[in-house]
Amino acid sequence: MDIAVLVKQSLDVQQLAIDSRTGKIYLDEAPTKAGDIELNAAEEAVRIKEKVGGKAVAIMLSCFGSSGRRLKEAREALTRLLAMGIDEALLLLSNQYMDTYSAAKLLSEEIRGKYQLVLAGEGSEDNFSGVLPARVAAELGWPYLSYATSIEVNGDEIKVTRSLEDYDEVVSLKLPAVISVTQEINQPRIPTVLHIMKASKKPIVQKEVQATVEPKVKVKEIKALRVERKRIIIEGELEEAIEKLIDALRSEGLLEVRG
Amino acid sequence: MNVLVFSHYFELAKELISAGSRVGDVSLLLSSDQRDREGEVKGARRVIICDVSSEDQSGLLNAIASLAKDYDLLIFSSDKRGRELIGQVAQKLERAVATEVSSLSLSNGKLIIERMTYGGKAISVEELSLPAAISIQKGKFKPLDADSTHETLHCKFEAARSYEVVERRPKPKLGIPLDKADVVVAAGRGFKRKEDLKLAQELAELFNGVVGSTRPLAADLKWVPEESWIGISGVRIAPKLLFVVGASGQQQFSAGIIDSKVIVAINNDPGAPIFENSDYGIVKDLYEFLPALIKRLRELR
Repeated sequence: MDIAVLVKQSLDVQQLAIDSRTGKIYLDEAPTKAGDIELNAAEEAVRIKEKVGGKAVAIMLSCFGSSGRRLKEAREALTRLLAMGIDEALLLLSNQYMDTYSAAKLLSEEIRGKYQLVLAGEGSEDNFSGVLPARVAAELGWPYLSYATSIEVNGDEIKVTRSLEDYDEVVSLKLPAVISVTQEINQPRIPTVLHIMKASKKPIVQKEVQATVEPKVKVKEIKALRVERKRIIIEGELEEAIEKLIDALRSEGLLEVRG
Repeated sequence: MNVLVFSHYFELAKELISAGSRVGDVSLLLSSDQRDREGEVKGARRVIICDVSSEDQSGLLNAIASLAKDYDLLIFSSDKRGRELIGQVAQKLERAVATEVSSLSLSNGKLIIERMTYGGKAISVEELSLPAAISIQKGKFKPLDADSTHETLHCKFEAARSYEVVERRPKPKLGIPLDKADVVVAAGRGFKRKEDLKLAQELAELFNGVVGSTRPLAADLKWVPEESWIGISGVRIAPKLLFVVGASGQQQFSAGIIDSKVIVAINNDPGAPIFENSDYGIVKDLYEFLPALIKRLRELR
């Protein structure tokens, strides 16, 4: 069985800097990566194909153009997935922002007829809307299950446990299907140096793509979300620090104390 | 403009009606298991009761997709099954999507929305061409309270299960929902054992508060119910006072605490990002600081 893993070249939000004085947000300066949850999706794909055979292919959509630092980062992210045991990578490069409608159309063209199972993360690292795998499922006309915490494959039947708000749900269905996973599904393996060296020999196929329709969603502005915090570090020995904290809570009106 | 709203959770549907009424006339879709709530509906012009159960995602998908042609805007809630529906419906109908919307308005025939992005570090202002589908951030729109009248329609759709549910295992519940609590003590991996969480519990009780946690404690270690999980894929909280104890303040967590009024962070690592995101920081071992703080607060009672 062949499995596609959907990966987005996302901004590394942990490293995204904001000037708290001016509110400037340093998007161009932040590095990009494959999302952490997408590593879980890749790990799951590798585990499944190791068990039942077939190949696992990572498909990454990058909207940062086809050259320069962003391309290098995209290839590095894919190399890491290849080192984890993914067999091949397909890197789709777009020169401009693409909304999820067009992204799902493009990805589906690459998936249709080639794969029986599509795995993705529950949300991308930077935007976290979780819409894309659902859109891909609808575009392909395949069933969609989200928030999977375990996947068992038995021939063309799979059993998926998914974590919903009120209950865990165990469902069975026939392939093909699109499934998004959570971080709890597995622990992504850390590739060894040997694996990374081998991975550099695996193919990363690059392909330039573009949306065929005008975006239905246009991003007008990205504003830094400035939350004013006092950032006071309470110094001193244990008892002193406790008294200072209690004074602070009192002055905030958060502690009603008698006496 | 005509707006159709649906949520698996009737309480959230009330917030969706409120959001939708800002930009148009709202019709509410009720699944067969929600029909007895019709009397509680306020602010919708129309209630459509369909004979599909809220447990039947594929049936709902078909129902919404076929009703949608009469509506410029579909509004869903941001829970997990709501997210499943919005992406699938939108692709079927070739519509724009925005999720976790916190404000919306109309301008020159387009829908202008705001939503949080980049792990809670930024707000994205987006323009959606209509027709569109959006989901609403929980707690951002107050349910409408004025009495209203509506027409009632009934519709029939085929049940359409694309998968079979084998088993459901209910999850344990918290007493007070985290997003309603005035005081929250959020525990992180600095707690070494499950039993040690009683320190967090004792501190919370002194303020009539609730214990929340970071992702690993709820999702991996399962020391606390999953409802306790604070963050971008857990619960977003808005307490008056939040203690963050033994949590470093990863972005996924920090996005869930933005609306807290006062944040007190206790962590033995002076470089932990949580100190950048708190009002009062104490660089001490929680095992030393919490017992002493609890003791002192008890003396003051």
